[in-house]
Amino acid sequence: MVNDTSSDAVVVARILDGDGEAFGIIIRRYEPGLLRFATRMLGSPDAAADAVAESLVRAYRHLAQCRDPEHLKSWLYRITGNRCRSHIGRRHMGDIALDDAPPVADPADTWAALERGEQVALVERALAALQPEKREAFVLKHVEGMSYEEMAAVTGARIPTLKMRVHRAREALLAALKELV
Amino acid sequence: MTQIDPRLQEALDGERDPATLPAGLREAFARLSEAAQLLRDPPAVSVAERVMAEIRLDATVPAVSPLGAARRLVTWLSRPRAVTLRLRPAWTLALAAALAAIVLLPIEQSIAPKAHEGIAQFVGHFPGARSVEVVGSFNDWRRGALPLSDEDHDGIWHGAVVLPAGQHEYMFVVDGERWVADPLAGRYVDDGFGAGRQNALLIVRP
Repeated sequence: MVNDTSSDAVVVARILDGDGEAFGIIIRRYEPGLLRFATRMLGSPDAAADAVAESLVRAYRHLAQCRDPEHLKSWLYRITGNRCRSHIGRRHMGDIALDDAPPVADPADTWAALERGEQVALVERALAALQPEKREAFVLKHVEGMSYEEMAAVTGARIPTLKMRVHRAREALLAALKELV
Repeated sequence: MTQIDPRLQEALDGERDPATLPAGLREAFARLSEAAQLLRDPPAVSVAERVMAEIRLDATVPAVSPLGAARRLVTWLSRPRAVTLRLRPAWTLALAAALAAIVLLPIEQSIAPKAHEGIAQFVGHFPGARSVEVVGSFNDWRRGALPLSDEDHDGIWHGAVVLPAGQHEYMFVVDGERWVADPLAGRYVDDGFGAGRQNALLIVRP
């Protein structure tokens, strides 16, 4: 019997043993993070939902190929990251992000005076302006709270490379936020 | 874009106490931390029902593979049970003859490929390995379906299987945990999950 407290490896073994419904546990466990990650990568909740749904179905179909079920989380983020890159490759990221973003706040406002929704829109706009690799590194580090080791498992990039991307992303974001507010 | 102070990077990486930063850097630290916090809002949508509906329709997925049923069958067969056979002597002789015929049949006949199939031979050099098996697209990447053998313990593991003609992706699994692309395969394809990993590619001809 598996439940929401069972380890990933136990749930995966159960699914591979024929209990497809147990995949619902995996979805409940990782869907919020994957959707948040994809939304920040794609700048559009609808595109993110498509990317995550496609990724989860793909993960289910290829679950036997998950070589280390104890690190299922990294595997799912890797599949979702690949799917996001594929979406980005099919269309221009900046256009979508700007289309979906709420109107920019009055430049005369200070950061503290902005409503939360306006603050979010500003940060999203600054994030969308980053190159996809830097955006991915920043989101995995600061939004998903991953260690550099986990990020390496997700992206396949080396840790020094990831550190450099995160550092550059911070610099670009800080500069953009200063400029916007 | 200006390079920001390394001390701020260290604080954001959790390698330095933010309280030790100068006032200007503390403000930048707060700004970036707050920006990240704003991006952490949980999504308002869910794709769970959509995903579950799709995988329930899928008949080729691991969840409905015969593996589960096979394991249950193995469990059932492995339990001790009393079996009583009451046969007439004539039937007993017929049964013995049938068993002898099966045992004496050449093994190759039972794995002889049909017109649209071919024999795939796998050879790998893994000195010191305790076990080597092949998983691939032809067996749904299922473990335990195609173990290789090394009878003379020279580190050369081999095995053969009849496969449908066409392309198949595969990997060696060494000691049950190390996945290795066949170094002798000659052809490789991306495994589709990023990270630059590649599966070996096998082309079976009839």
